[in-house]
Amino acid sequence: MEFYLPIAEMSINPVGFLILGIVVGTLSGTFGVGGGFLMTPLLILLGIPPAIAVASEANHIVGSSLSGTIGHLRRRAVDIRMGNVLLTGGVLGSIVGILIFNSLKEAGFVDLLVTIAYFFFLTIIGLLMLYESLDSMGLLGHKKRSRFYHHSWVMGLPLKVRFRRSGLYISLIPPYLVGFVVGILSAIMGVGGGFIMIPAMIYILRMPTSVVVGTSLYQIIFITSIVTILHAATNQTVDFVLALILLIGGTIGAQLGVRLSNKLKGPALRVALSILVLSVGIVMGLELILEPDQSITILAGGH
Amino acid sequence: MIKKFIIILSSITILSGQSLPEIFVDGEERDIKIRPNIAGTEVVLLGATPAGQREIIIEVVGPRRNITLQEKRRFLGLWLGLGKINYHNVPSYYNILSSKPLNEISDRETFNKLGLGLENLPLGKAEIINSDLKQRVFNKRLRTEMQNKGQFLENESSVTVRSGPGKVGLFSTEFFLPSNSLQGKYSVRYFTFRDGNLISYTENTIDLKQAGFSRVVWLTANNFPLIYGLLAVILSGLVGWLVSIIFRRLKIS
Repeated sequence: MEFYLPIAEMSINPVGFLILGIVVGTLSGTFGVGGGFLMTPLLILLGIPPAIAVASEANHIVGSSLSGTIGHLRRRAVDIRMGNVLLTGGVLGSIVGILIFNSLKEAGFVDLLVTIAYFFFLTIIGLLMLYESLDSMGLLGHKKRSRFYHHSWVMGLPLKVRFRRSGLYISLIPPYLVGFVVGILSAIMGVGGGFIMIPAMIYILRMPTSVVVGTSLYQIIFITSIVTILHAATNQTVDFVLALILLIGGTIGAQLGVRLSNKLKGPALRVALSILVLSVGIVMGLELILEPDQSITILAGGH
Repeated sequence: MIKKFIIILSSITILSGQSLPEIFVDGEERDIKIRPNIAGTEVVLLGATPAGQREIIIEVVGPRRNITLQEKRRFLGLWLGLGKINYHNVPSYYNILSSKPLNEISDRETFNKLGLGLENLPLGKAEIINSDLKQRVFNKRLRTEMQNKGQFLENESSVTVRSGPGKVGLFSTEFFLPSNSLQGKYSVRYFTFRDGNLISYTENTIDLKQAGFSRVVWLTANNFPLIYGLLAVILSGLVGWLVSIIFRRLKIS
């Protein structure tokens, strides 16, 4: 069975992509991450042109994050005020990100940018996760995990505001900055940015872990919506047929993942995820290091 | 499912008259609609020529498009796509069909003059950015890549010639347009050769139109990008919302 993607202008096997959606969805449901940071590189490795993979994945995350946020809202695990501050910064960041993306697309370097960004972030985050999970298993010989408990510079900034649900009274500047940086990455990498947002919320903003995932998902709906619209309007790379296939697979997977995580929780599983993240990062990196079979190729997505 | 479209000769009876034209095909433009969700379209070409000792070459050239090549070079230990080569008028489809292997029909020089054959297909002047290589290196690669992708084809001995009524020979051939073929005008040129010499030439066109859902999506995305983006977001959100309702119901029951 063949299915034609109207924007990517290629025929794909929908069953394969549905399964991809389910697998990544299961992972994201199990670990509470969005999954975009795995989905986009996998789409690229499967032959979807990078520019289309990035824009369509943003479109996919709109639906999956909305679905996830509804669940967290019911459990009152969303700090909407904090989410709004983060997404104000995020909107600016995503506009800057689109400008960078489009100017590099013009110069023909967008594939390179996306590959390098993924290699860089997946490798670093994979290593950090691996370190953290091995540490929590007590394999690294540390007696107690040392967190960044002293953030005098965060506490000392002006423009303080109370965030009731998070139980915080902090300056608006750090959340704006966090939102801004994640917005840039979201536009360039086609991700919600949860994998960067969540550590930043815990370690820099010091939000309670109970509201972190819900708040991150809440602002991701808006950021990915804007990123999708900007990509569609400026370079016509959003393939919503692809996004819908992934969304259907992904939501089924997410439900499976939530159930699975109740049974399978443990540091060993986090080690598995970190190794997966690391390997995708390394595969992306190998594309830069290994000599290609053919040095001259048709640039994908060139019309 | 493969749809067949036949380009039929409008009237063979003309040919049984006194003056026999050297080659006759239906001169009218034909419209073909393809639905991208199916595998593609088989196109049948038919024509007539006086019987005996004639070889036929049919060349199909699809609408032109921009293609960019990239040249990867080693830079600081990394393989980066530094060189960019922009072509502005490359046929999106090329197929040469003949009744015999080309080198048995005529010689290279003749084909050069006529601009016939994959090697003689004009690719236009390319804009070479950040590369020291000559354009012919890129032309060669582009031809090979297009052949690998099945967009440039050579089908020797795929035209069959049969004798029809009287002194008329009927020729026919068929070729496949894949589902992702660009829409637009496909020009078809017909050549007849005898003893290595061109004796007649004619042409017609096929207008390929994409139909169906995918086409509507593509048109919307390109003509109304902002509306398309908004719709994509709303649709994705709607599906996400519906799913959360469905799963909540399932959990309760």
